[in-house]
Amino acid sequence: MKINQFAFGAIAAVAASTSVIATAKADAVQDIKTKGVLVVGVKADYPPFGSLSPSGENIGIEPDLARNLAMRLGVKIQFVPVVAANRMQFLEQGKIDVLIATMNDTPEREKIVDIVQPDYYASGYNVMLPKTIHITSWSQMQGVPMCAIQGAFYNKEVAEKYGAEPVAFTGVAEALTALRQGRCNAFVYDDTAIEGKLQNPTWADYDMPLPSQDPKPWGIAVKQGEPELADFVSKSIIDWDKTGYILSLETKYGIKHSSFAEQMHAKYK
Amino acid sequence: MDLIAGWFSHLNDTTGINFTVFYDAFDRARFLNGFLVTLELCGVTITGSVLMGILGAWGQGARSWLIRVLVQFYIQMFRNTPPLVQVYFFYFGLSALLPKVTDNLGMQHPLIGGFIWASISLICFAGAFNVEIFRSGIEAIPNSTREAAEALGYTRLQTYIHIVLPLALRICMPALTNNLVNLIKTTPLAYAIAVPELLYVSNQIWSDDENVPEMMLLLFIIYIGLVGILVFAMHRWERALRVPGLGR
Amino acid sequence: MSKPFAVLLPLPEILHHHSAPARFRLSLRHGAALLGLLLLVSVAANAADAPAQAGVFTVLARWTPLLLSGFALNILISVMSMSVGTILGAFLGLALISPNRVLSAPAWGVTQFFRNAPWLVLLFFMIFLLPYHMQIGPFTFTAPDWVKAVIGLALPVMANVAEIVRGGVQSIPNGQWEASESLGFTRRQQLWQIILPQALRRMIPPWMNLYAILTTSTTLASIVGVNDVVTLAAQVLSAEGSRPDLLAPIYGYVLVMFFIYIYPIAWATRRLETKYQVRN
Repeated sequence: MKINQFAFGAIAAVAASTSVIATAKADAVQDIKTKGVLVVGVKADYPPFGSLSPSGENIGIEPDLARNLAMRLGVKIQFVPVVAANRMQFLEQGKIDVLIATMNDTPEREKIVDIVQPDYYASGYNVMLPKTIHITSWSQMQGVPMCAIQGAFYNKEVAEKYGAEPVAFTGVAEALTALRQGRCNAFVYDDTAIEGKLQNPTWADYDMPLPSQDPKPWGIAVKQGEPELADFVSKSIIDWDKTGYILSLETKYGIKHSSFAEQMHAKYK
Repeated sequence: MDLIAGWFSHLNDTTGINFTVFYDAFDRARFLNGFLVTLELCGVTITGSVLMGILGAWGQGARSWLIRVLVQFYIQMFRNTPPLVQVYFFYFGLSALLPKVTDNLGMQHPLIGGFIWASISLICFAGAFNVEIFRSGIEAIPNSTREAAEALGYTRLQTYIHIVLPLALRICMPALTNNLVNLIKTTPLAYAIAVPELLYVSNQIWSDDENVPEMMLLLFIIYIGLVGILVFAMHRWERALRVPGLGR
Repeated sequence: MSKPFAVLLPLPEILHHHSAPARFRLSLRHGAALLGLLLLVSVAANAADAPAQAGVFTVLARWTPLLLSGFALNILISVMSMSVGTILGAFLGLALISPNRVLSAPAWGVTQFFRNAPWLVLLFFMIFLLPYHMQIGPFTFTAPDWVKAVIGLALPVMANVAEIVRGGVQSIPNGQWEASESLGFTRRQQLWQIILPQALRRMIPPWMNLYAILTTSTTLASIVGVNDVVTLAAQVLSAEGSRPDLLAPIYGYVLVMFFIYIYPIAWATRRLETKYQVRN
């Protein structure tokens, strides 16, 4: 009886110790180099930050940043398209190694994933106006009927500041259709998304003349508990700011230099 | 009022259960406005769809073949397609075909706004079901009653208004109540075309204040309350209309 | 000249003088009329097009595969929701008719709640409050948005199926219960061997009607972000630059898709209703 108990205990101890060894954190950077491929989550519906070319290739500012990371590691790149609803979960589950997907850096999100500092970009809200309306300052937006997206965090601020309750729709497509139909004179949305829309020739008669408001920074995220990978990404971001790589990507994809990118470049030069 | 506000504010501080609509003036105003719009929408669509049902049921018995076909077409279209797509079809699709008005900035705006389109769409949707309900009520009236009216010299229209419709209404009351309950449950659809009804303002509130479960609870309570009031009112009306010997 | 042998004709023939006008049952004629309306709208829009833009029919044809794939998702959601809801509703219905108050009272509460709650609010509830993935033992369940929509729609289906079950069982004449009781059947045997087999036939038409309603309600999932045919239609419009002349045709196209799927179900339901007509 006693020998059986002892044997059982010994086997259990060996099993426990091997499982502990098996789950001990290996260096994530080393893992990626061994695998030979860096898997990055990017947006596929948000030009010019992440979209698909007609041949199905991921193009945009963020896929280019991802390719730069892979090049620094000396591995191949693999893209996984994500949306706001699943991007953090994919990271947690290990489906992707790094997340570069227009994600605002907020304390709530810091609890779930590891958002690398410094932040790499920022966006605020702005309005898309028809060129026929000549508005030069935000004070002229008083009482202008605006279309918006349901649940955007700036809708309340816009309503309080400019007196016009935004007419909010469930999706960007419906809001743009309403704008086109004349149900509102302006569309209030993320300035980066508006820039993407304005690049489409169908919106050639629209413009974004006013300065952006309330910029909130974006962060690149990695899974929690991978300090080497976070460190590597952080150093890469600092290098991008130092060499003005992000500014050059903005030029490449035809958008104005954002004040955030210029500030970061000046800081790390 | 301050007592309630104070209690809910205290509730939030101690337990984190956040009913901002009770203690925050801005949210309370928004929520009440949304509630009023929902009430308006329910009132307009209930009245309109019952009228539509009465008209349609009369049209089903019309002599003109064209009218009968049009009524059938209308019923089958609105019964067998999703109400959400109907609303979009009206608000985006038909709206584009109507003339536009020009404002002082030179901008063109559609003629008809979200609330009216939502009302029209929901009236057509519920009306289609009501036509079938009234038809079954009308069919349950024995032919002898109609023939007696004809013998007394009533025209078709007079028979319909004075004899057939009152009897049919009493017979089909339960089914009508059911359909009107469904109509109340369908009004949150107007959210999709930015009508500022209850669900729309609740969405704005929970986006700003991160209190989804609390707002959800309020929404459920209010809608179930509205349904309860309608069912109660319909039952009272049914009892008041009761004719001995008719139905059960 | 009166008809010879008139007395030999069936009675209704002789008395036939003026009946109510023949009611029109829907036929392919009406589906054709619907298609006609769609064509009319599209041709009108097409005629108004600037020559540089693609015609309405070209656009519709181009996007048809994508829209059909979205529609397939709607059908998938409806089938799964109906299955889950029917199974849960069957149990709930049995609890409703149970003589045991401990079972029937909460069942009544659940049924009333889910029958009277708006479907869109239930969907929002599920989308926001169900976790994206949950761990049960060694298994991780991921619930993408459309699965949450399935659960959200299954709940009112469950409540309605429970009512259908209750209605079906109650429509069986009391004589069946009394006769089987006097033959010594236990309540369980009564239910499963005598009552339910008869009630099942009567439950089928309202059950099919519920499925038709459910299928039209799957479009609500587009409001909470599921990529169904309505969301895709909006995205197609956006991809085509939100041209005003495309709005009516594309939404009309989606209406036609649903009509083609649901009308046969409605027609079959009507056929079965008259066939299984309750004769008291």
